[in-house]
Amino acid sequence: MEKDFSVQQSLEVIESMINQAKNKFNNDSPLYLLWGWIVLICSVGNYLLYKFQLVEKPHLIWLLLFVALIVQIIYLIKQHKKEKVKTYIDEILGYIWTSFGITMFLISFVVGQSSGNWINFYPTLLILYGIPTFLSGAVMRFLPLKIGGICCWALAITTLFISKNYYLLIIALAVIIAWIIPGYLMKSFFKKQSI
Amino acid sequence: MFKDLDPILHSQLRLAVMSLLISVKEAEFTFIREKTKATAGNLSVQIQKLKDAGYIEVNKQFKDNYPLTTCSITKKGIDAFEKYVKALQSYLNTDKK
Repeated sequence: MEKDFSVQQSLEVIESMINQAKNKFNNDSPLYLLWGWIVLICSVGNYLLYKFQLVEKPHLIWLLLFVALIVQIIYLIKQHKKEKVKTYIDEILGYIWTSFGITMFLISFVVGQSSGNWINFYPTLLILYGIPTFLSGAVMRFLPLKIGGICCWALAITTLFISKNYYLLIIALAVIIAWIIPGYLMKSFFKKQSI
Repeated sequence: MFKDLDPILHSQLRLAVMSLLISVKEAEFTFIREKTKATAGNLSVQIQKLKDAGYIEVNKQFKDNYPLTTCSITKKGIDAFEKYVKALQSYLNTDKK
């Protein structure tokens, strides 16, 4: 059989195998949904708690992010055991989100230590949200995430024209557009692929 | 006719393995078997040949008490693959002439 293996057949084998692995990446939709929903709950929660003066320190609701972090770590460990292949796309995405995570951690630390005044920082936060979201969309060639990233930047500009009291709601809107909607679209994309 | 084609790569299954590995960072044995539709026995033999040629790296470890084999392409493997594809192209060009 191998003697008859022609140049044409060689090319067919190469093409079909490369197509099998091309543009392949892991289904990260659970992570987009996890962070999307948690940030949505925290931002809307913080807004409502503050508006109706329900508690003394409404911003403490953001501690829920630590719960999300623990859930994410458990999820990633489980996922790592399941994954059979690691593509370059997965590796790049990992680096993008790790650097974003480190940036966010350092920023919360610095802002907390210096002024503790988060409200002035929300527009910058939106600009930062846009970076990993847009990059992930570009690397995966997944349009909803690219649009999500651009919307984060657009929403950062809108903060110039509205009252600071509504910044938290802008953050909520940003995570719906940038993470929650793309998260569900990605989930259905993978569901269709597996059929 | 095929005297310039690397004999290690000019075999259906070995070429399939190399084409898969050139597109990813690393892949488990089960993934390669799934995609190439080869039998485990035959695949093991061909992977060993690629490893002996220094074209791929094979990493054996245990995951949840089960043996786990992951493969990745080496620099030497990438070079050989590129050379092979160029040789294929030159054959196609000669055919056209």
